[in-house]
Amino acid sequence: MTSSLMHEPVPPQKAVKLEVVDMGKRFGGIAALAGVSMRVEAGSVHALLGENGAGKSTLVKCIMGFYTPDTGAVMVNDKEVETDNPRQAHMLGIGMVYQHFTLVPSMTVLENLVMGRSHVPALIDWKKERADLSNFVNSMPFSVPLDLPVASLAAGEKQKAEILKQLYLNVRLLILDEPTSVLTPQEADEILGLVRGMAHAGDITVLIITHKFREVLAYADEVSVLRRGQYVGGGKVADLTVDAMARMMIGEREIAPAAARTEQAPGAICLQVRGLTADDENGDAAVNGVDLDVAAGEIVGIAGVSGNGQSELVEVLAGQRPPTGGAIMVRGDAYHATRTEMLRHKLALLPEEPLHNACVGRMSVAENMAFRNFDQPPFSKGVWLSKSRMRAEARGLIERYRVKTSSPDAAIATLSGGNVQRAVLARELGGDVDVLIAANPVFGLDFAAVADIHGQIVEARNRGAAVLLVSEDLDELLELSDRILVMFDGKIVYETPIAQADRTNIGRSMAGH
Amino acid sequence: MDETSIGWWGVPLAIFAGAIRISTPFLFVSLGEMVTEKSGRINLGLEGTLIMGAMSAYGIAYLTGSPWLGVLVAGLVGTIFGMLHAGICSLPKVNDIAVGIALMLFGTGLAFYLGKPLVQPQAPNLPSFNFGWWSDLQQVQSALKINALFIIGVVLAPVFLWALRNTRWGLILRIVGDSSDAARAMGYSPLAVRLVATAFGGFMAGVGGSFLSLYYPGSWNEGLSSGQGITAVALVIFARWNPMNCLWASLLFGGASALGPALQSVGVTQGYYLFNAAPYVLTLLILILSSSSHRHIAGAPGELSVTR
Amino acid sequence: MNSDLVLRFGAGAKVFVVSLFAIVLSLIVFGIFVVLSGVNPLDVYRLMYVGAFGSWFSWQNTLLRSAPLLLTALCTALPAQMGMVIIGGEGAFVLGGLAAAAAGLLLSDMSVPALIVQGAMAIAGMCAGGAVIASAGALRHLRGVNETISSLLLSYICIAVLNQMVEGPMRDPTSLNKPSTRALPDWAMLGNIPGMDIHVGLIFGLLFCLATYMLMFHTTFGFAARMVGGNVRAARMAGLPVGRLILIVTFLGGAAAGLGGMVEVAAVQGRANATIASGYGLTGILVAFLARQNPLIVIPVAILLGGIDASGGLLQRRLDMPDASVVVLQGIIFVILLASESVQEGINLPGWFRGIKPRSSAVAVAEGAE
Repeated sequence: MTSSLMHEPVPPQKAVKLEVVDMGKRFGGIAALAGVSMRVEAGSVHALLGENGAGKSTLVKCIMGFYTPDTGAVMVNDKEVETDNPRQAHMLGIGMVYQHFTLVPSMTVLENLVMGRSHVPALIDWKKERADLSNFVNSMPFSVPLDLPVASLAAGEKQKAEILKQLYLNVRLLILDEPTSVLTPQEADEILGLVRGMAHAGDITVLIITHKFREVLAYADEVSVLRRGQYVGGGKVADLTVDAMARMMIGEREIAPAAARTEQAPGAICLQVRGLTADDENGDAAVNGVDLDVAAGEIVGIAGVSGNGQSELVEVLAGQRPPTGGAIMVRGDAYHATRTEMLRHKLALLPEEPLHNACVGRMSVAENMAFRNFDQPPFSKGVWLSKSRMRAEARGLIERYRVKTSSPDAAIATLSGGNVQRAVLARELGGDVDVLIAANPVFGLDFAAVADIHGQIVEARNRGAAVLLVSEDLDELLELSDRILVMFDGKIVYETPIAQADRTNIGRSMAGH
Repeated sequence: MDETSIGWWGVPLAIFAGAIRISTPFLFVSLGEMVTEKSGRINLGLEGTLIMGAMSAYGIAYLTGSPWLGVLVAGLVGTIFGMLHAGICSLPKVNDIAVGIALMLFGTGLAFYLGKPLVQPQAPNLPSFNFGWWSDLQQVQSALKINALFIIGVVLAPVFLWALRNTRWGLILRIVGDSSDAARAMGYSPLAVRLVATAFGGFMAGVGGSFLSLYYPGSWNEGLSSGQGITAVALVIFARWNPMNCLWASLLFGGASALGPALQSVGVTQGYYLFNAAPYVLTLLILILSSSSHRHIAGAPGELSVTR
Repeated sequence: MNSDLVLRFGAGAKVFVVSLFAIVLSLIVFGIFVVLSGVNPLDVYRLMYVGAFGSWFSWQNTLLRSAPLLLTALCTALPAQMGMVIIGGEGAFVLGGLAAAAAGLLLSDMSVPALIVQGAMAIAGMCAGGAVIASAGALRHLRGVNETISSLLLSYICIAVLNQMVEGPMRDPTSLNKPSTRALPDWAMLGNIPGMDIHVGLIFGLLFCLATYMLMFHTTFGFAARMVGGNVRAARMAGLPVGRLILIVTFLGGAAAGLGGMVEVAAVQGRANATIASGYGLTGILVAFLARQNPLIVIPVAILLGGIDASGGLLQRRLDMPDASVVVLQGIIFVILLASESVQEGINLPGWFRGIKPRSSAVAVAEGAE
């Protein structure tokens, strides 16, 4: 009896139990993880909760073997294991679905699944592989088309294909990194429901990285909370409240409450878009005739699953993509995103990924802060540039917006993500703003920074700016907007004032129903 | 007009013969570069590799009397150059295009330096097959004298196409070229795969260079290559990273290059030098037609810097 | 304030030290190379110094060779400020020389004053060279054609055009074994700098470098151009006219090389022929990269490379080394320089050199991890 227990091998067809003991990892002088221990029971759904920068990704990357931890151990089914690279983790039945999908876009689902195996024959017999995979897919609770290139799948289908791939690789501990960030609420519910079903059937164990309480409450059995690289609490979800989890996540810091929208009637129409069309990188139509109005003193939110033309719409408004048709007007004047028009109409932009979209990484913080007005006095005298004025002005903005930088002369690429964002915010909102276009402005930032930036946006609106806010985070839109539009397949398909906004209806329109 | 002259019919025949002759280096360089670019890297240094290949093949063939040994050594020299390119590109923050330019300069200079004593002597040439035995016409016979390397290249193209779809190595190459992240997640090292792919590209370019010095024009001098390497790199973009298209594109370029000499052979000497520029003009036109400022080139490996 | 200065100075010092290290290492590698071909490297180094900087005569020779390099280097360096890698300087140089010869011959036949002939030659050369590189810029902007490949192809086409013209329509029937255009009359040629054996082309080069440095780093135009070069998406978001900036800067770069071609014709060869395609365009690429694409730093680097070029003749005569030795050394420098650039991040200079420590890359990794 005891001997049979002792010699019980890792059961490959059953969910596994994972334990992390005293895991530590430093990058340079920074401790990304400091002695984290936690236990994930077999056949459970376990949520790993924490802010951006709390160490969640570092922890799972140590488990997966992407990083070698400095201290600590990983135990699978109570046995210590070595995971030096992702392949080894796969052998142990541990697999991960990344936030940025790792299926090869130009290859078919079939090719991706076969190539994901640890042993691929030198010559591949596609007929046989196809038959095997069809059988496997038929035994699963969901399916995806095998012969389409991954690039042509919708986000939800890609997510399913990723999960299918892990299951096909016989993964018994599935790690999902922010799995719902690219899905409609309905798709998220479907996928989380499916994996929970498989977990409770004892087939797999699921570890979900998330910062969404809604998902934790609805789908997780247990939760572990990380803050600044440390385990700060956790337990059965049923025993915890949202407030308790939020306190663990944020700590005792005071978060300034978001500036409230003042009650004000919207002013005159400021930004008008009529029948706008634009193509994406592949030359396919991405924006298919968008009409919208934004009045002075209102925030219009645009909801939608990423890839439905929102980023192309913002790029057209920002002058980064030529429209193929339609018109944009600002205060009745035609607008073509030229510098003179932007200056005249006091247009400001907060694009997503500011380092990629709004900054020149190798230029200094001061120079980056002068992008809007380097050719205006006092920064320029005729054709000449005054670098000292630029630096002096930047010092003021750095202080006012609390940008952490060693010097105004430091290259902006050396700043952290949140500080780059603040530097751009300082540039765009430092002066008067009549029209503000923001796209996922707080993506990847921590609570304090999010509250700060939300406050600035609302303040701009309260001062009478027309604000167009594009976001993939429905909660953000529900919090900030006066009106919400939903974009699907390049068109505005739904509109609701905030007072009547309803998550279910919005979610349904996001999926095109 | 005497009996053996075929007059203007000589022009298409000469273009056909020239297309096969001149396309051979294009074919080898472009097939190799196709593999390199499929892995997500571009090697502009192949111009230098080609010349190094030509020089070393000629030198070895002259010293040993065996042209095939020359071809092999040219390939090995090319492999070394490819590995040098890949090695430097593996360092952080190094741009593959700049490294290519540097190796273009280095390879050319080194070949001229080491090849100085090879300008005079005559090395044995590569063999060819006579498919024109049935004809009495001298022009037909010379047009159908097809060199062995060309035949190898023609066989390689479909083999590559098949291998890219049906072998583990082919699929790994495509994965690395399309998404480094995916490759890493699957446990493949993009740098290692690119090293192999660039080394292979160098091998093929070296072999392509050996053709220049050992078959056509068939001697070593400093004016041997003028841009075939770089044209072949552009040709891969035109061929949409498809080996069979590399074959057709090489033939097209060979034909364009043969235009000037073919016309000269029937007495049209006007604009001879301009006809020499025909392959460059053609490459440029094709690049213009096949690119777009607002969209990606269809079929381009996702990691390739030159098309982003 | 002081710390800002140290930061700015420290970064520059680091680049300088790394580049110097790259050159020294290249000389060592080149030394090993010549040992393998049976030459004493110490002789090579000594002769290189003597041939390049050993006497006033060598200095003049060096400066003469650096004059065209100043101009062809700008053909790569200026577009590089806009993020474009242009390697067609040779073509712009050649076509500039051809256009200058055409303009010079046409006007000198009409016996207008020398200054006007020379002015017209300079303008013709700059326009022709500028047009070549600007078309690579235009193709990049309008059609997304890779400018590195297109500029090199254009370069080959320019050389073919030169050959066609000097063998055909513009050929001087008396030039037998080396087809050339007619010679410019002596009075139309560019003179020397007073008191030296160096033609005024050197002054052109120095002025062009200084002027474009001021343009790129001290004017609003240059700021806008560098924004485009650093991140075209950010430049578009700031509403900058990206296409116009690209066209102007690529034209300027080509004009510099074209002026170099004009100088080669009007001060050195006296006529256009195939000799003007002698590799100044290629060496210019190396000068630009070694100077980190900065027009001001192009000046000392061009003189250094001009010196290496100048010493080539001496190596050939005294040690019987092939004339390609210089190209080999250039190639080695280029390769080592590129490799050393990635080392740059990792090294720390001693003491006061260091300035303020940049945020360590490890921090970025830690944050990138989330």
